[in-house]
Amino acid sequence: MREADEQYFERLESDLDDAFEVAKAARERGGDPTKDVEIPTARDMADRVENILGIEGVAARVRELEGEMSREEAALELVEDFVEGEVGDYDSDAGKIEGAVRTAVALLTEGVVAAPIEGIDRVEVLDNDDGTQFVNVYYAGPIRSAGGTAQALSVLVADYARALLGIDQYKARDEEINRYAEEIDLYDKETGLQYSPKEKESKFIAENMPIMLDGEATGDEEVSGFRDLDRVDTNSARGGMCLVAAEGIALKAPKIQRYTRNLDEVDWPWLQDLIDGTIGKDDDGDDEADGEDGDAADGEEAEGGEAGDETEDDADDYPTSPRVDPAKKYLRDLIAGRPVFSHPSNAGGFRLRYGRSRNHGFATAGVHPATMHLVDDFLATGTQIKTERPGKAAGVVPVDSIEGPTVRLANGDVRRIDDPEEALEVRNGVEKILDLGEYLVNYGEFVENNHPLAPASYTVEWWRQEFEAAGADVQAMADDVHVDLADPSADEAMEWAREYDAPIHPEYTYCWHDVSVGEVNALATAVENARVAQTDGAVAADPASTQGGDLVLPRSETVRKALEHLLAEHTQREDDLVVPDWRPLVATLGFDLDSLDRDWTVGDLSERARNYDGGDNAIEAINEVAPFEVRERAPTRIGNRMGRPEKSESRDLSPAVHTLFPIDEAGGAQRSVSDAASHAEEMNDRQGIVDVEIARQRCTDCGEETFRARCPDCNGLTDAVYECPDCDREVEPDEAGMAECPSCETGAYPTQYTEIDVGEEFRNALESVGERETAFDIVKGVEGLMSAEKVPEPMEKGILRAKHDVTAFKDGTVRYDMTDLPVTAVRATELDVTVDQLQSLGYETDVHGDPLRHDDQLVELKVQDVVLSDGAAEHMLKTADFVDDLLAQYYGLEPFYDLDDREELVGELVFGMAPHTSAATVGRVIGFTTAAVGYAHPYFHAAKRRNCDGDEDCVMLLMDGLLNFSKSFLPDKRGGKMDAPLVMSSRIDPSEIDDEAHNMDIMWEYPKEFYEATREMADPGEVEDVMKIAEETLGTDREYTDFAHTHDTSNLAAGPDLSAYKTLGSMTDKMDAQLALSRKLRAVDETDVAERIIEYHFMPDIIGNLRAFSRQETRCLDCGEKYRRMPLSGECRECGGRVNLTVHEGSVTKYIDTATEVAHEFGCREYTKQRLEILERSIERVFENDHNKQSGIADFM
Amino acid sequence: MPLETPARIVKQLARRGYNAEREAVTLLADEPDSDAALERALETLPDDALKLTTDHVRESIETEGRDGDGSEIPDGDRSTRDGHRPVDENPPTSTGDDDGSPADAGSGSPPETKGSGEGVAAATPTATAAADGAAEPISRNTDPSKRSITVENDMTGQSTGTGEYGDFVKVFRDRYEKLSKQLRGRVNHRPTDALESMGGGSDAAIVGMVSDVRSTASGHWLVELEDTNGTFPCLIMKDRKWADQVQELLFDEVIAVEGTLADDAGILFVDSMHFPDVPRTFKPSTADRHVQAALISDVHVGSQEFMEDAWHRFADWLHTEEAARIEYLLIAGDMVEGVGVYPDQDEELDVVDIFDQYRAFSEYLKEVPGDIEIRMIPGNHDAVRLAEPQPAFDEELRDIMTAHDAQVHSNPAMVTVEGVTILMYHGVSLDEVIAELPDDKASYDEPHKAMYQLLKKRHVAPQYGGHTRLAPEDRDYLVIEDVPDVFHTGHVHKLGWGKYHNVLALNSGCWQSQTDFQKSVNIDPDSGYAPILDLDTLDMTVRKFS
Repeated sequence: MREADEQYFERLESDLDDAFEVAKAARERGGDPTKDVEIPTARDMADRVENILGIEGVAARVRELEGEMSREEAALELVEDFVEGEVGDYDSDAGKIEGAVRTAVALLTEGVVAAPIEGIDRVEVLDNDDGTQFVNVYYAGPIRSAGGTAQALSVLVADYARALLGIDQYKARDEEINRYAEEIDLYDKETGLQYSPKEKESKFIAENMPIMLDGEATGDEEVSGFRDLDRVDTNSARGGMCLVAAEGIALKAPKIQRYTRNLDEVDWPWLQDLIDGTIGKDDDGDDEADGEDGDAADGEEAEGGEAGDETEDDADDYPTSPRVDPAKKYLRDLIAGRPVFSHPSNAGGFRLRYGRSRNHGFATAGVHPATMHLVDDFLATGTQIKTERPGKAAGVVPVDSIEGPTVRLANGDVRRIDDPEEALEVRNGVEKILDLGEYLVNYGEFVENNHPLAPASYTVEWWRQEFEAAGADVQAMADDVHVDLADPSADEAMEWAREYDAPIHPEYTYCWHDVSVGEVNALATAVENARVAQTDGAVAADPASTQGGDLVLPRSETVRKALEHLLAEHTQREDDLVVPDWRPLVATLGFDLDSLDRDWTVGDLSERARNYDGGDNAIEAINEVAPFEVRERAPTRIGNRMGRPEKSESRDLSPAVHTLFPIDEAGGAQRSVSDAASHAEEMNDRQGIVDVEIARQRCTDCGEETFRARCPDCNGLTDAVYECPDCDREVEPDEAGMAECPSCETGAYPTQYTEIDVGEEFRNALESVGERETAFDIVKGVEGLMSAEKVPEPMEKGILRAKHDVTAFKDGTVRYDMTDLPVTAVRATELDVTVDQLQSLGYETDVHGDPLRHDDQLVELKVQDVVLSDGAAEHMLKTADFVDDLLAQYYGLEPFYDLDDREELVGELVFGMAPHTSAATVGRVIGFTTAAVGYAHPYFHAAKRRNCDGDEDCVMLLMDGLLNFSKSFLPDKRGGKMDAPLVMSSRIDPSEIDDEAHNMDIMWEYPKEFYEATREMADPGEVEDVMKIAEETLGTDREYTDFAHTHDTSNLAAGPDLSAYKTLGSMTDKMDAQLALSRKLRAVDETDVAERIIEYHFMPDIIGNLRAFSRQETRCLDCGEKYRRMPLSGECRECGGRVNLTVHEGSVTKYIDTATEVAHEFGCREYTKQRLEILERSIERVFENDHNKQSGIADFM
Repeated sequence: MPLETPARIVKQLARRGYNAEREAVTLLADEPDSDAALERALETLPDDALKLTTDHVRESIETEGRDGDGSEIPDGDRSTRDGHRPVDENPPTSTGDDDGSPADAGSGSPPETKGSGEGVAAATPTATAAADGAAEPISRNTDPSKRSITVENDMTGQSTGTGEYGDFVKVFRDRYEKLSKQLRGRVNHRPTDALESMGGGSDAAIVGMVSDVRSTASGHWLVELEDTNGTFPCLIMKDRKWADQVQELLFDEVIAVEGTLADDAGILFVDSMHFPDVPRTFKPSTADRHVQAALISDVHVGSQEFMEDAWHRFADWLHTEEAARIEYLLIAGDMVEGVGVYPDQDEELDVVDIFDQYRAFSEYLKEVPGDIEIRMIPGNHDAVRLAEPQPAFDEELRDIMTAHDAQVHSNPAMVTVEGVTILMYHGVSLDEVIAELPDDKASYDEPHKAMYQLLKKRHVAPQYGGHTRLAPEDRDYLVIEDVPDVFHTGHVHKLGWGKYHNVLALNSGCWQSQTDFQKSVNIDPDSGYAPILDLDTLDMTVRKFS
């Protein structure tokens, strides 16, 4: 590690220590469940693993093994330790196996996710039919967060432990095998699996699995065959089991095999069949094709008969350019209001450009900000798009160093828009978006998704290297102030091409591959008939001096389209088309620029050129007639549609909560504590008395009984008192925390139903923090506590939260959610901070190594520094004020933050924390952005186990977490420990983060060999020697630095601040905008969009509501009581009030008219129209009275 | 449209000893003066002809009624569709080679399988494949005047519910009233709000709708019963001999219980439980003559899995001597595969247009002898509302199916054929009964057992809020008010029949081979069977055509 990095981390940790001191002192005094901070710091993965599991000795052993072997091997090594009892303290075999399995999962997930504790419920040793014993691992839904490899290895670990303990293998009964197959299929249908094993595969796995995979029911749908089995205690799908079998074993078979080979005790020879893919494929060829569907390569599956067949045919008959196959899977489940930007690989869609911008990589897509505006602001920084390739989804980042979109305006101008301001100016006049501009994807994305490289656009980066290879002194030209290598004049470009025999500059390379040979010929003929004129229309006096004017072509539809598809800028007039800067275009067409004559006819073209790609791709023809080489401008178009909108908002429970204090229903629907404080059931009842289930605690010092975490008399810690519900006898819980009454044999509870004087609580709390009720609008409590022991939070905290308008999450912390985006280099200007502030945070040099002096110098971001959205900054400021008041008014200490405005937030520490994980990562605020996202180093996101494809997670203010988080508040249910900071990482070790981040490329420039390899559609691995990804610096001094990028962008937050999806009001508005956009985009088939909206949005809604109507519950309008079925008495059985339906005619019929209109307006298929028609009739049949019709039957037939 | 015309023509023809192709009947019926046209046609008929053919009718209409332009009705106008057999031009010889050679099993008299309770349907149906029988097609010689058919409980055109809360209340109250009437005679019902005042320890009885069933921590059952006054908890101890009957309970059925009130009169300890049920002494009615009805369902025309060949064999067989007694064809729903029944269904459709599906169905129906009386009800694949009761098709669909004078009634409907009352219900609720009840009470392999449950509960779809959808009407058409002689359902695509307290329960299989979906959930359908019911004995024979 470099000295600078060491200093950075030491500084973070010393700040952390300071905060800990304060927090400890505070918790010592207050009414918190423990006297110490409840988020332990983990310096490395071993610490995290031990902390999350709570098994002592694991960390030490992990550290021992870490240097010697891989994490997977260490997990297997630990199995022996568990079995021999060297690690963990288990008596039973089941316990030992359980410990080993949990530890393995924790290790493989770097001790960050909750899967090891939440995803494995228990391990049991049960009996086989032959009297031997087998091991049953009982999985739960949260095992999902472990990922396939860890899931699969958990099975291997269990098997290894089983073998070491001498327990027999699981021998599945036939009905169990069949059940696995049906159940996995059911789960796939209901919830969806990344990989859908075929029935035979599922059965094969079930037959051979040496341990039983079991689990909790996770869905409502039940299997229809193979029900009520002895050894399976549910008829629903067991989600955890399905995930482990399908995404674990079936999908990761090769990885498991690597480890089974090294173990003598376990032998899984059947894995080979899974790997070979021979299971279920021997019956016939069709199956094989089916199998590919579910596979990772399933992108191709959806392309359907037509497209696929067509391209194949062409490939057989004609030579053609390298092209990736269109994949339309991303269009599935299209959502109303979220537009399609391009159909699969359609011309006019995004053009693939390779490179990594500084705010890019790690599942993101670079889009020009002008494009964002022109797609009616549907794209903004952080908006998720579902994409055709290389991955499934990506977060959109603004990159303005790539080309913008090309549009045709209502006045006939065809222009490329490279400036967001211009985009906004012309937006209303855009008639057609001919091209969406470039789409930046970095090499690492292809590595991560193991996607073959797609042919690269011809861009200046590539051209420069070809130019240099052709003999030009590029460096000298770059240094020449008179030369702009990226944007030369037409004459320069042609001159260079001729002089060095290099391909024509990309700026003057048109999309020849998007026009046919016929169109080229039509264009050439038009050029022959063209004249050169000044823009005012005057014909140049001397045709020989064509220098000054524009080219005026006679207008025809073919020529107009050809020019538009070439993306050649021009103006369209009634009778002619005017092309300025026309010389390279005409030269490329093989014309003499002075005489406007050509010396070729279509007949002169080679057979190959004429029939290239069936004549639809003119690139070969052009290369035969052009005086210089012409590359394919944009061979790869990438289809995509909008996924989720970006997010930046505070995380509030629903309804919002200020204090985790139970007030039952006394606070009304709002859960208002002050209402509860004055609530009385009957007129004469004392106000504020509420009956709740709450903790039964006893002071460990003085023995006082209370419901609080701390003794009201001596502030000593209190412990839960378990009582038998039948005989009221006090029971000591055993080591596992289970308490059973020895005489009644029923479970004892640590809670009691008792009366609490909420009024008194409230008044005391107000007094204790010196606040009055006017300090806030409302303090919201909770109806009941969800934790096991139901210890409430001191109400003072809620009062102060309400005062500062922040709310608590289920664990007592205040959180703010943001979409994750990566950034590796920043400028002070765009972060709304000064260069002085950056310097004070330890930034000394810019990316080039020059001393940092100016606001606009680019500096490399340190790995744990984060950029907050404006909203997050404001929320953190409020939280800081709350924390300060809490320290001063409740704990009686000095304020910690004392912030006046947001710039003072710079340098403060926060926690980053992702859903489904249980470990927080410490970050430091470096600046702010107007985009509704959280920019941070990709390693920071990876440490939280997030990538940036639209994922979102939260930040918490450090001191708030330290003071207010307690495990005691966490819900006592499956998944309750997820999304809670059970441990925090103080420093990021690049080797211990999600390895997806290691695939990010870190280069200033991609080499020529790379671009050439893309034309070969090589696997990304084939070019790894000439490329540099972050993995290469792991474990070296440079592992925290040198995150080079190929593209800059002027502003991290360019483009719209918010997606139109969020600013448009109703769903109808969104959908109208979506359909309007689909008509504007050349790359989009609007009928298909309409079909999909109807199919995926309207139909399910209408059908669902119609179904819901005819099986709905009812609810009392007066007291809210719900009834499964309408009471026979007609009125509410509880209060005699009015009962009414929960699903009304309105909700059933609300979309039918719109859907029908859309179907007709956009020319949807007859099938779709008929379905709507039948639905409409069904609805009428339910809601119309045959005897009382306004009109005859014939009227609506 | 005047439905009686074709029927009248068929009757007249039969009276004079002629058989006729259905197309011929239709042509005649379409004539402005159908009687005169019929006379003309018969006059010109050769002496040896027994059957009036389409061509002949055309000829007679052309020559007499119009200006002799023979080209006006081109050949293509006849109902021959691709993939369809043309309508028989010469019935006596038309069965041709595709029927194979006269086969095994002394053709003509397939062993009968008498519907008699358990065990029968579990075995493979023992009927021989009639298709192999190659019995010669005959001229059917039926006498429509002997027929009688009436329909009750048809709510088509009577739907008055408008989806208001009150409609729902009304329908459940009607259910309670009708079914409690069946039980009141057996127990002395006390209103739920009067029970508590009766004092602890007294004997009491309730007739109530099941509003909740729970098992208690100690394994007993707590059943909440509801009447129009409120609800009352009833405890059924697990050690009662009949306690496992609780597992047969469905929400919203009506039962009666007798027992003792607890000391605080807050709960009833149940001693006995009664269902509306079919009386054990029930004696079914039968027809006065030897006449048969074919009871089928789930044809699924339009599906790629529709078994066209089996259907042809079935229709051909109906023209044979063996089938001469069959004068009725009853179809219990799912005539077509429908559109949009499940996602991406279009990919599995042979006929994508819903109206074309019914047109095709109508064509298939034309293969059935024209003198067979056809009655059908819609199912969940048909283009009507899914919520039950389902009214019959609207005019547009009926117009498509005018070719045969088949009539459509609502689902469910009570069809009385020559004295035999047949409750036709499509059977969507069977899925739920099978899912909710233990396997030995109801399973897909023995669908008739699930039907027994419905008979016992005297309601075709008791449970509300789950699988079955309910459209509220002014009364509960789903109650089995009068005990039918035969209960005919389909939907689950399994063949099964048996008798429950002398009521014949029949689930009639389907005409669709196994779909991918069925494969995935392990359902092996019984396809291509035609159960034939003797209306004079209520014995059943199953014919296999697949």
